Amino acid sequence: MEMYPEQIAKALINESFHSRRLFVALFVVVNLVALAVGFGWPKSYMSSTSILVDDKNIIQPLMLGAAVATDIADRGKNAREVIFSRKIMSGVLERGGWMKNNPSAAQQDQLIEQIKRRTTVFNAPGGGKAIINIDYRDNEQVRAYLVTEAFADLFIAEVVAEKKSEILAAFEFIDKQAQGYEHKLTITEDELRQLRASNLGARPGGEVELSARLISLNTRIENTTLELREAEMKHASLDRQVNGEAEVTVLATREGQFRARIAELQARLDTLRLSFHDTHPDIVQLKNQIQDLRAEAGAQRERREKAKPSDRLESDETVVNNPVYQQLRRELSQSQLTIDALKSRIAEAQRLLREEANRSKDLHGGDARLAELTRDYQINRDIYQDLLRRRERARVSMNLDSDSLGLSLKILEPAAPSPPVSGPRFWHFVVGGVALGILLPLGLFYSRMMFDPRVRLANAISQRHGVPVAAIVPHLWKPGDLMGLRKELVMLAAVVAATLALSATLSVVRLLGAL
Amino acid sequence: MSKIEKALEKAGEERGSLQLVPGAVAGGRVAPWTALLGQRSDDPETISRMDGNEPTLLSADELWDRGIIHPQRTEEPAVQVFRELRTKIVQQSLGQNVVILITAVNKGNGGSFIARNLGAAFAFDSAKTSLLVDCNLGNPSVHQLLSDASAPGLVDYFENPEIDVSRIIHPVGIPRFRAIPTGGLRDVPMEHLASLKMRGLMDTLRERYRERFIVLDGPSMANIADVRILSELADYVLVVARHGRTTNAQIESGLSAISNTKLLGIVFNDEPRIPWTR
Repeated sequence: MEMYPEQIAKALINESFHSRRLFVALFVVVNLVALAVGFGWPKSYMSSTSILVDDKNIIQPLMLGAAVATDIADRGKNAREVIFSRKIMSGVLERGGWMKNNPSAAQQDQLIEQIKRRTTVFNAPGGGKAIINIDYRDNEQVRAYLVTEAFADLFIAEVVAEKKSEILAAFEFIDKQAQGYEHKLTITEDELRQLRASNLGARPGGEVELSARLISLNTRIENTTLELREAEMKHASLDRQVNGEAEVTVLATREGQFRARIAELQARLDTLRLSFHDTHPDIVQLKNQIQDLRAEAGAQRERREKAKPSDRLESDETVVNNPVYQQLRRELSQSQLTIDALKSRIAEAQRLLREEANRSKDLHGGDARLAELTRDYQINRDIYQDLLRRRERARVSMNLDSDSLGLSLKILEPAAPSPPVSGPRFWHFVVGGVALGILLPLGLFYSRMMFDPRVRLANAISQRHGVPVAAIVPHLWKPGDLMGLRKELVMLAAVVAATLALSATLSVVRLLGAL
Repeated sequence: MSKIEKALEKAGEERGSLQLVPGAVAGGRVAPWTALLGQRSDDPETISRMDGNEPTLLSADELWDRGIIHPQRTEEPAVQVFRELRTKIVQQSLGQNVVILITAVNKGNGGSFIARNLGAAFAFDSAKTSLLVDCNLGNPSVHQLLSDASAPGLVDYFENPEIDVSRIIHPVGIPRFRAIPTGGLRDVPMEHLASLKMRGLMDTLRERYRERFIVLDGPSMANIADVRILSELADYVLVVARHGRTTNAQIESGLSAISNTKLLGIVFNDEPRIPWTR
């Protein structure tokens, strides 16, 4: 059934008038019930405190990079868990005075649960996560204050302590690490020193120098070997030449002189014979002379032949040394000398080469170890320096915390010593009773209008049965009825007024604190 | 017998003679039986004569006490409502006088109240008269309007063949408004209503004054058979439902008994309204 709001309102007013007695009766009953509930409702006091979690205080940007303020904001997020932790709750029990009766553990648990139920922890709207509000409700005014205060104090103490212990642990860890690396670094330095001492060649660039030396030695050996070969070839050639040359030109000496004399005399003879006869004295003299000389030469040859096997020169013979032979001999001995010198040089070079090779072997082993140690040393040094920096930062952070400069939890609004009464007040019940006293009958009438099988709305008929409504006849009030109606309305108004007066009186009395 | 009654009787006899005159149907929509019975009177003199014959009239306050509207009470919303209803019926009837059956969905819905006031509303118009016929034989109420509660009525008419129609039509103290009571609280079989005599009576009544609107105060729809019979006699049927009393199921079953062509609509009675407000 579609109805316009004003139609509904009009129909409701008419219905209410029609059932005016029921309306008033409901109004009175609802009001009385509300008053009764208001009287029975326990008083409660709500205390409230708020804590500012400042994660951006002045010191942090100043100390950026040098110190790290512990992240309070995270704790703000799980403030609820921290506040409801057993530790804080025990403290609250103590401060709230519950522990005076020495409750058992089970009773304590129960009390804690009750306190938790009466406590609200929330982030203040608008403040984001930065402001934590703690509301606590109690039926004792002083206790409400004490407990709320305890919540704030214990929460801050807990967070600060935790923060301190955290940063201390961090510092100790970094410190331990730094010490470990320092130790490692010392060991590496020692090893390095030893290695350098044991291996003098082990220094940077040694290897290059060594290889250059090895190359030069090799070159030298090769060159010397070539020279040697040359010298040997020259020697062999000289040797051959020496063997070919006569040691002395001894045969040419006496016998030769004789023969030369003979030849000379012969030549003169031949010349004389051209002009003189054989009987010429000169010729005959010459022939005698030649004869003598020949005899002399024969004797000389004989002697020589005899002396030959003894292989010694006839000293008495006129020895003429062969100059070529002499020359060759000299050269031969010279080349022999050269060969010997070259050989010894090669041997020397080879010895040096061996030595250098040995040295290079040593050098290579030392080099690998050195590289390893140096690498270790460099890495450890880097880490150690980094750790040192970090440790100093941690130290500053720790000092920051211990000086409370990094502390960013503040009680923004402390709990009020005498929290006002909270929760529904008596006048709430009075006003609520009046409002409900009006709204409840209206609601009832509305639902009756909508769901009563008996027709209460004219347009419902036409809509439902498809028959037009020819007329809607209002109730006809006869003069006598109107008189009665007037009286009735006055009565009802009086009842309503009495109810309201009762409510108002009770409110005032309650407000003055008499009840 | 009082002087007035005698005069009434005399007048009734005069009108009775009129109905015997046969004649052609004078235009408009006329029920078949009307056509058979002859020409209707539209003599304005009859009305003026009727006016002259009015007995002592009741004041507006007296009527009010009896739950009947009065044209002077213009501030009363009910007066306006009945006026509108009357106008609606007159428009529907195209100038003819008609027979309207008022039947309540169930007892206590105020069918008689509606019938009475509808009759009064017709009589507001000085050019029209109205006649209220109490057909609710089981639970009559029209006699309460009369000065003589035991005046002869419908039952007397049926049981006594000699009685003239004019003898059962009584004034009620409202100008141009007449009523036929049941004729005393007697256990009368409803079959009378289905008789030819009843039909004849209706025609007589209708024909007597062309400007006369006849309102039948019928029984509630609990007596569905009676309502059916009466609806045969009527041109239009108005069904009365009362605020907070009538269920939709009752309306539905009651409507099924009435032909749609005659059903004029539902009158929603007793809608709560705060007096002194418009």
